[in-house]
Amino acid sequence: MNSFWEWMKTRLGIEELWNALFARHVPEAKGWTAWLYTLGSASLFVFTVQAITGALLAMNYVPSPDHAYDSIRFINEQVLLGRFLRGLHHWGATAMVILVSLHMLRVYFMGSYKYPREATWIVGVLIFLVVMGFSFTGYLLPWDQKAYWATMVGVNISAQVPVIGEYIGKVLKGGDEMGAVTLTRFYAIQVLVLPAIILGALAIHLFLVVWHGISESPTRKEDDQNKNAGTGILQ
Amino acid sequence: MAYDPTENEITRRSFLSRAIVGIGGLIGAVFTGIGGGYFLSPLWHKKKESWVDLGLVKDFREGVPVKVDFTVRKRDAWSTIESRSSAWIVTANLKEFIAFDPKCTHLGCPYRWSDDKKQFLCPCHTATFGIDGKVVSGPPPRPLDRYPTKVVGGHLLILPQKTAEA
Ligand code: HEM
Ligand code: FES
Repeated sequence: MNSFWEWMKTRLGIEELWNALFARHVPEAKGWTAWLYTLGSASLFVFTVQAITGALLAMNYVPSPDHAYDSIRFINEQVLLGRFLRGLHHWGATAMVILVSLHMLRVYFMGSYKYPREATWIVGVLIFLVVMGFSFTGYLLPWDQKAYWATMVGVNISAQVPVIGEYIGKVLKGGDEMGAVTLTRFYAIQVLVLPAIILGALAIHLFLVVWHGISESPTRKEDDQNKNAGTGILQ
Repeated sequence: MAYDPTENEITRRSFLSRAIVGIGGLIGAVFTGIGGGYFLSPLWHKKKESWVDLGLVKDFREGVPVKVDFTVRKRDAWSTIESRSSAWIVTANLKEFIAFDPKCTHLGCPYRWSDDKKQFLCPCHTATFGIDGKVVSGPPPRPLDRYPTKVVGGHLLILPQKTAEA
């Protein structure tokens, strides 16, 4: 067993990975502000929950106007633990938006997006847009009255964009009116397109977080010698 | 001038990298074109109008509105959705036809034609409309809604989608 572990360590670089990821230096944080540093990991946790529960829901869901609502009811009423799993995915979606937004706010107010972490921030903005895309496309899938009309409103809002709005609306709907193709489009975007984008973006995001290290929290200092304090410029 | 073989010359290495970038770019462009066209196809998708045949023109009578029931077949991607619908048909000369949406423009009750009064009567809040669809009395905010009509080969066709009064 021990030699097997040694074999694994040398072939997979487990020790180096472990040290880079978990034995790295992080800034000392005291009091309640220390909790703010957990928001990124909390987002990552909920994202994992969404990925797993989403994959399980997809095993019983059919993206067609004839069957979508009934397949959701089937999950709710007949599949073992179906209602619970769907509840996790439902509330996880809301939690995701809240956590990612809070994480973004903490990064903004601590000035952590400044040099050299601009790329981490830019990829973060892309991730935020993808999370919004998940929410928008996922909301339609139950194909009940609320889903249908909320999406109608959302699509009509996009159609207000000057000049190209009408075309954005058509591409979103997959035609001139909302219908079967809107549902299949939203489903494909929700389970194939957006996951591919967010996985790539998260890989870059997390790599950059580890590579640059976590930024020191800003401090307020009275004396004039430290006029750079809080600007992100190293003293 | 001495001949310098390293100047302006395509080496084996630079030729190969240009070929890779060129051919790779071409393959990429073709895939982008195909995928993009597929994804954006709703943009140049022509809307198909589904006119409904209401029968022979000569079966209608001048000045006598009739309510005609018909089946609408609406295509939605791979499926066809059938629904029952109806319209009030009015003609003065068997050449030009008006088709009214059968719902009152107040709150959507079905109205009927009264032969005595020569008006459309809505039972819900006692609105009356003239034979031209204009509000004569009552709460409706606008004249009766209309469907486009046309006569083709002696048949009356209507397009059961509301349009504002012409
Ligand atoms: C699914 C969404 C996201 C996940 C899972 C995630 C994950 C993480 C994690 C684990 C960290 C480590 C530090 C911490 O947790 O505070 C981090 C840092 C960071 N994140 Fe995110 N993030 C997400 C979205 C965003 C968004 C929307 C933005 C901004 C637009 C953003 C910008 C940043 C920046 C600039 C840092 C570096 C902070 C520092 O070094 O102090 N992230 N992220
Ligand atoms: S619905 Fe016809 S008058 Fe009110």
